[in-house]
Amino acid sequence: MAFEAESKVLFDAMVAVKLPGIVDAVNKAKDAGMPATDIINAMSSGMTEVGVMFQRGKLFLPHVLSAAAGMNKAMEILGPELAKSGDAGAAKKGTAVMGTVEGDVHDIGKSICSTMLQCAGFDVHDLGRDVPKAKFIEEIKAGCNFCGMSALMTTTMTVMKEIIDMAKAEGIRDKVCMMVGGAPITQAYADKIGADVYGETANDTVAKAKEVAA
Amino acid sequence: MKMTQYYTRMGDGKRVQMTREEILSDIQAGTADAADMAGIPALNDDQIEHLIDIISCQDRVVGVAPGKEVVMTYDIGQLDFTGDNGNSGNGVDMGRLEAALLHERALGADTFELANSDYSIKPVKPIISMEKQTMEEIQQEIVAPFFYGAMPNMGLYYAPDGPYQNPADLMREFKIEESMAASEAAAEHLARDIEYVGTHIMAAGSDGFNFDTTGSAGDADFVGTLNGVKALRAACPEAYINVGAAGESVMGIHGMIEFEGTVCAGLYPHQQAQVIAQAGADVFGAVCNTNTSRSLAWNLARSVTFIKKAVEDSPIPVHVDMGMGVGGIPMKETPPVDAVARCNKAMVEIANVDGV
Repeated sequence: MAFEAESKVLFDAMVAVKLPGIVDAVNKAKDAGMPATDIINAMSSGMTEVGVMFQRGKLFLPHVLSAAAGMNKAMEILGPELAKSGDAGAAKKGTAVMGTVEGDVHDIGKSICSTMLQCAGFDVHDLGRDVPKAKFIEEIKAGCNFCGMSALMTTTMTVMKEIIDMAKAEGIRDKVCMMVGGAPITQAYADKIGADVYGETANDTVAKAKEVAA
Repeated sequence: MKMTQYYTRMGDGKRVQMTREEILSDIQAGTADAADMAGIPALNDDQIEHLIDIISCQDRVVGVAPGKEVVMTYDIGQLDFTGDNGNSGNGVDMGRLEAALLHERALGADTFELANSDYSIKPVKPIISMEKQTMEEIQQEIVAPFFYGAMPNMGLYYAPDGPYQNPADLMREFKIEESMAASEAAAEHLARDIEYVGTHIMAAGSDGFNFDTTGSAGDADFVGTLNGVKALRAACPEAYINVGAAGESVMGIHGMIEFEGTVCAGLYPHQQAQVIAQAGADVFGAVCNTNTSRSLAWNLARSVTFIKKAVEDSPIPVHVDMGMGVGGIPMKETPPVDAVARCNKAMVEIANVDGV
């Protein structure tokens, strides 16, 4: 495999989650002639590993963000080359509207999920919590192709179905991947209300969203 | 020949049939997952065999042998009667005195607690004098130790509910240092509020304080609570303090915040027990969350593995948190009694918990 050593250095730098180390690895790989898309791919593998380590409690949210900041810096450094090769948008996997549904004020799980999606290369519009149903629909109409809905209460999780039904009524259901999660949500409930993705954890959501985006 | 199928559950409560081999396989995977995550021993062959027997027993309800019973306490005060079923309640309206006496005299609670309907520390501040009045009244009638209970719930200290910027919002803007600073400020505020509410309610005759779901807003919530417990212990040496966790691992939202030199992000139950005892608590409420996509066998084996190690290492008694979506019990509004009974039996007989 070409640039195997550089790929490993990039992967290791991402897992080490130190911004200067990541930038250094990117510059060295670029100077060695490694194609920009290959650099991004190697870093993405590292980012996936960072996500796994976060889920296993070996790394924490600021570490994930440091790795993501390194990814952003790489996009800046490699931007001109990516633009030349027509891959400038290669790292953007989709645009996700995220929110805790109307009536529910719990947002920590949703916020971690938003952060992890952003780190995985999604453009994230996080609307916060207690988000009116119509706001999700507006964002989908404005171009979001992923819609992440969170609820921590059995009394509010029913709102997810209402939003999915609203998307159907508006004729935009097929344009968006409906993702649901939160403590009372299960795969069976996701199936029952017609959601596309059930995220057991933030990492699970990201992995499934990436599969859909691929 | 068709293999014998045993009636059991998934983590979402769904009824399923599994063979003994399938149950064994899930138990092995569950205990291995806990062992790998926390760097602790997996269950041994005898413990696994015991767990298979508990899970595959086809009696509707199982229990422990006479003399092996443990202390049983309840949280959320009257809410398990008055709350809706989404709040683990039954929708039966009654006063807080009636609920306390019913728990003591009809449900066999060894301890019970008074709780505000919001069940968080912060909203109790403006109504503390009313809570003191109720505490004093119920203490006149109840015999069992009667505490005050609330969640630290540090999320209420962040925008839009509180004065500090929301760390999650700051993180997404890559303002990592500002995010950490907001968490630290909120943790200090939480510790002050715990001391305020705790000392007031103890002055009204409470036997102690139960901190429920500590660390639900991450490691700074965990540290803020421990600092609050430390202050409460200093102010009220006689208080019986129970600190219950929010999960098997302390979420690293800050990542580096410490309690007396220990970084709290990523602590597992056997490590949580050490710092909780160090802060001055009398009892540790260990928690392991349920994965709804996995079987009861997987979840229970994983939970028992974490809790067993916590019991072995803890300098204070461990009362495991058993309920909707914790301790191996399925995440279901009304957890199925067959699963609840099996999880409790396993926690007592294999993890050797001091209480439930």
